Amino acid sequence: MPPVGIIEKLADRGDEIVDLDATISRVDVEAEARLIPRYYCAILRTVLSNAMRLKLDEIYVDVGRGKCDGARHIKEILERELSIPVMETENDDRERRGNPICVSSLRLVEKVEKIVESVKQPGQLKGDFTQCKATCGFWGVPPRDFGLLELFPRETHVFGWTRCMENKTPADRELELFCDLSIPTVFFAQSFCAKNSIAYYLAHRHPRGFYVDGDFDISASTKAKVEAFLELSGVRASEVKG
Amino acid sequence: MIIGDFGTSYTKLWDMSSSSGPRVIRSTDLGPDIRADYGTGHNAPLRADRVVNELVALATGARKRIRATDFLVLDCGSRDVKFVAFEKGKFERAGWNSECGSSMGFSIELLEMHFRLDYRSIPVPEEHLPVACGVLGMSAVFDAVSRGDEIEQAVAKFVKGIAVNAHRFAGCPGQVHLCGGLCDNPLFVKSIPAEVIPLGRFLLLEGLVEIVQREANPSTP
Repeated sequence: MPPVGIIEKLADRGDEIVDLDATISRVDVEAEARLIPRYYCAILRTVLSNAMRLKLDEIYVDVGRGKCDGARHIKEILERELSIPVMETENDDRERRGNPICVSSLRLVEKVEKIVESVKQPGQLKGDFTQCKATCGFWGVPPRDFGLLELFPRETHVFGWTRCMENKTPADRELELFCDLSIPTVFFAQSFCAKNSIAYYLAHRHPRGFYVDGDFDISASTKAKVEAFLELSGVRASEVKG
Repeated sequence: MIIGDFGTSYTKLWDMSSSSGPRVIRSTDLGPDIRADYGTGHNAPLRADRVVNELVALATGARKRIRATDFLVLDCGSRDVKFVAFEKGKFERAGWNSECGSSMGFSIELLEMHFRLDYRSIPVPEEHLPVACGVLGMSAVFDAVSRGDEIEQAVAKFVKGIAVNAHRFAGCPGQVHLCGGLCDNPLFVKSIPAEVIPLGRFLLLEGLVEIVQREANPSTP
């Protein structure tokens, strides 16, 4: 996510902003294999596919500490493959804007959808979100497959980089590493992402942590593991899919 | 009340109202009208009114059977391997290898039938083949034979390779509570490099019984 200042400038200009992380165009692994390896981060693969297929006027790619080196390389590829300007940003925004959605009683899917959507409209993140007492946690990035999020109850608090997204501080390492040690927490990272190491580490240091990764689609066995983890950790089945 | 563990190769069915125990049926022999009130296993969504997550059924059955508070239970079936570990009575970790460890039980049985072997009479070999999964491992068996191994010896190394792989997948525990169809294969059981406590092939059904009773009496802890 580029800095809020850039997003606001584009919005003031009346530009339509498209989130290239989102599933807009179909990702064709074979077609993209001429540019990047077949086995690669599903999010960055989605960015590449969208950028190659959509008719865009310019592209902003955040490559700072708040994103990853993978984005830097994708930016280099897009710059060479496309004839439109591809701008590099480094989002080091420090102003914490709070995380009412992360601790709200919305369904987890809705929480993450709203947070992702807020990237395009940083100033409009208002609303009266009812807070909830957490029975479990989700730590990580928004997954490529939101089916994973449907396994969690409403009483799930969001941590990790998704929380940083809501706060508009994607490079806030302290906030990214924060989690609630008192609740069972699933630590998630996209397959092939460097964040897997910290997700794995935190999950094993957490008294009731559970690490999973997922690629384009979350596999049935991964979903079953998460379901079992929640149920066996005492998160009542009736709370799930609330 | 009928409960079922609908595995890929075998189905374990139990009519809880009858005095007889569970039946084991080849899944390919199941009639289209066979259904269960509660089911678990790969084919349960097709056959059961209430589908229970396999890891939950495994963990619930294991907690009922095992008195220890720290234990690991490993289920080696036809298609997949899964385990659940408890520490101080609380869920500690779980794994379900349905892709990379696929078809290990299936391929062990396939080799037994193909070469007409009796696993009860084959000794555990010193070495094992480096097999990551059943399907890929079978070609390693034929490679070993072409290098001069006797068929029995090559298959035994394959079975041990699968056992070592399943043990590693579970995190190399010192003690393993084993369940699933491979409990009945002495070569496999003896090939696991740990103390093995076999629990038979009906542990998931036992978990289902517990879940049925719990849901019938929700106030019972």
